[in-house]
Amino acid sequence: MIITLRDVNKTYPGVVPLHVLKDINLDIERGELVSIMGASGSGKSTLLNILGILDNYDSGDYHLDGVEIRNLSENRAAELRNRMIGFVFQSFNLINYKNALENVALPLYYQGIGRKRRNILAMEQLERLGLADRATHLPGELSGGQKQRVAIARAIVTNPSIILADEPTGALDSHTSKEVMQIFRQLNNDGMTIVIVTHDPGVGAATDRIIRIVDGEIMNSNV
Amino acid sequence: MRLTIFQLENWREIGATLSRNKTRTFLTAFGIFWGTAMLAMLTGGAAGLKGLMNRNFAGFATNMGAVSSDTRSIPYLGFNKGSFWQLTTEDIDDIRRIAPAIEYSSAMNGTSATGVYSTRSKSAQAMGIEPDYGKIMLPRMYEGRFINERDYSEVRKVVVLGRNIATEFFGNESPIGKRLSLNGVYFTVIGVAGQLGEASIMGRIDDSYIIPGSTLRQAFNQGNKVGFFMYTAPAGHKPSENEQAIRRFLSGRHAIHPDDDRAFWFMDMAENFEMIDGLFLGIAILAGFVGAGSLLAGVIGVGNIMWIVVKERTHEFGVRRAIGAKPADITVQVLSESVLLTLVAGTAGVCFATIVLGLVDYFSADPVLGTAGFEIPFGKAIGIVLVFFILGSAAGTLPAIKAMRIKPIEALRDK
Repeated sequence: MIITLRDVNKTYPGVVPLHVLKDINLDIERGELVSIMGASGSGKSTLLNILGILDNYDSGDYHLDGVEIRNLSENRAAELRNRMIGFVFQSFNLINYKNALENVALPLYYQGIGRKRRNILAMEQLERLGLADRATHLPGELSGGQKQRVAIARAIVTNPSIILADEPTGALDSHTSKEVMQIFRQLNNDGMTIVIVTHDPGVGAATDRIIRIVDGEIMNSNV
Repeated sequence: MRLTIFQLENWREIGATLSRNKTRTFLTAFGIFWGTAMLAMLTGGAAGLKGLMNRNFAGFATNMGAVSSDTRSIPYLGFNKGSFWQLTTEDIDDIRRIAPAIEYSSAMNGTSATGVYSTRSKSAQAMGIEPDYGKIMLPRMYEGRFINERDYSEVRKVVVLGRNIATEFFGNESPIGKRLSLNGVYFTVIGVAGQLGEASIMGRIDDSYIIPGSTLRQAFNQGNKVGFFMYTAPAGHKPSENEQAIRRFLSGRHAIHPDDDRAFWFMDMAENFEMIDGLFLGIAILAGFVGAGSLLAGVIGVGNIMWIVVKERTHEFGVRRAIGAKPADITVQVLSESVLLTLVAGTAGVCFATIVLGLVDYFSADPVLGTAGFEIPFGKAIGIVLVFFILGSAAGTLPAIKAMRIKPIEALRDK
């Protein structure tokens, strides 16, 4: 198992406390391509944030690739995110004043890897995604699909345990969406574990398993 | 933790960030640049103004006083209000005996004189002096010598020409030993003199005929009259310490009412210099005040812009945090940016101020009087940059800490 959640609860405090995740139990195996689907407000984003060690949970257990994720310091969390998780966002979240190659190389910078080695590794990933000729382009000079491919290259450059994608096709047209999904499929064939959060049934259908979440509870898992 | 400050990688990253955000970098840098430039220019400017003033008084004894006769303002012992009394050589001899704080002194006589040499003539002030005049005014000798004791005691007909007069009569030729007439009396030229500074009494040396006072009184029929009497006080004393004794003595001899203040003309350069010193202290304080203000404004500017930068880049920091930046990485990044900016812009500001001061110094320089010293010492320049560096870094600290506290999840939501 690469991801194991046991009875995970999350409540947002407030005048009316919001119990967003209720006793979540979830197992994702190494090499899976799964999607988490749910309506907005269902808790799927909160679940993704917890999986991505961006947010804490209140009770339960979360193991990521054998590491217990609980009450981590900011530094430890940053280190685990850097080494174990590759993020792909709906709005790409590239740094707009850095070119494609620098964006892809950035996670390696935070690992303390030297510039030359960083650029070699980043270039390998850009080549793998067919963007070698766009290496020196700024994000503003790239199409949506190209931007998302750069973002995917950045996610995989550290060779993480898992890719977490948050609505990765939400800002793309249907044709480009299909391309991106094909890339995920390809990466999955190469052995990468991928979790995609989406509300798009088409995207869900392109994965091996759909985890449905409704009002903070997991309804069923179709294999 | 990695000591990122000392890594070339980190600086490369900062350099890239700064150079890709040119407007922002420029605006921040300009605040600092202007602050340091202002501070340096004000410091150097205040020093230069003082230099300008001191240059005027070069060769001018600052502890000098003088006394002269004036008209009575109170009727006394048969003398009417408005009647004039005359200072005499006898008075001077007695004043020298009774005045408590006189070091060097000289009686001064003046008359207008027309000098004639060959076919040329020139009307100017003739100054009759005593040899010690040269210790009070410190003339600058271009050629020959100044009036000495024997010239005075032997009532010699010798003249020291002011520099401008010598040039007018003799051009580049040496006037020493030449004989020229002053109001029809022939004098031998023994020297050419000028002033070091701008300030003068009775007229600039450069434009005067200077002859022994004894000769002037005799040759031009001034009897025992003295125009005025100038003196310096010894170190640790003020010229004004002599005033009371001089006044009491002269009042008794010349039938002046004891309360008649206006019958005397007293001058005290020390008082004027004290005022000037006070003025420059004021200017220095004002310069310091304005400089500190611009320093503060610059530093607040850095803090302010770094604050905006942090707000503007919250999303970027969120992305960086998500892909593995530690809180300290972000802090170091923000801090390094403000440190690098203050250092570079501060140095540039001081360099700019140096250039401006250099130009002012160049254009205010006088061929004779020299430069006024519109400049800032190296140590002070380094000090200004260092102060900016420290305060600029401190100003960057708060935004840097704020940046560190941003939670990645909140930052990612920030668009």
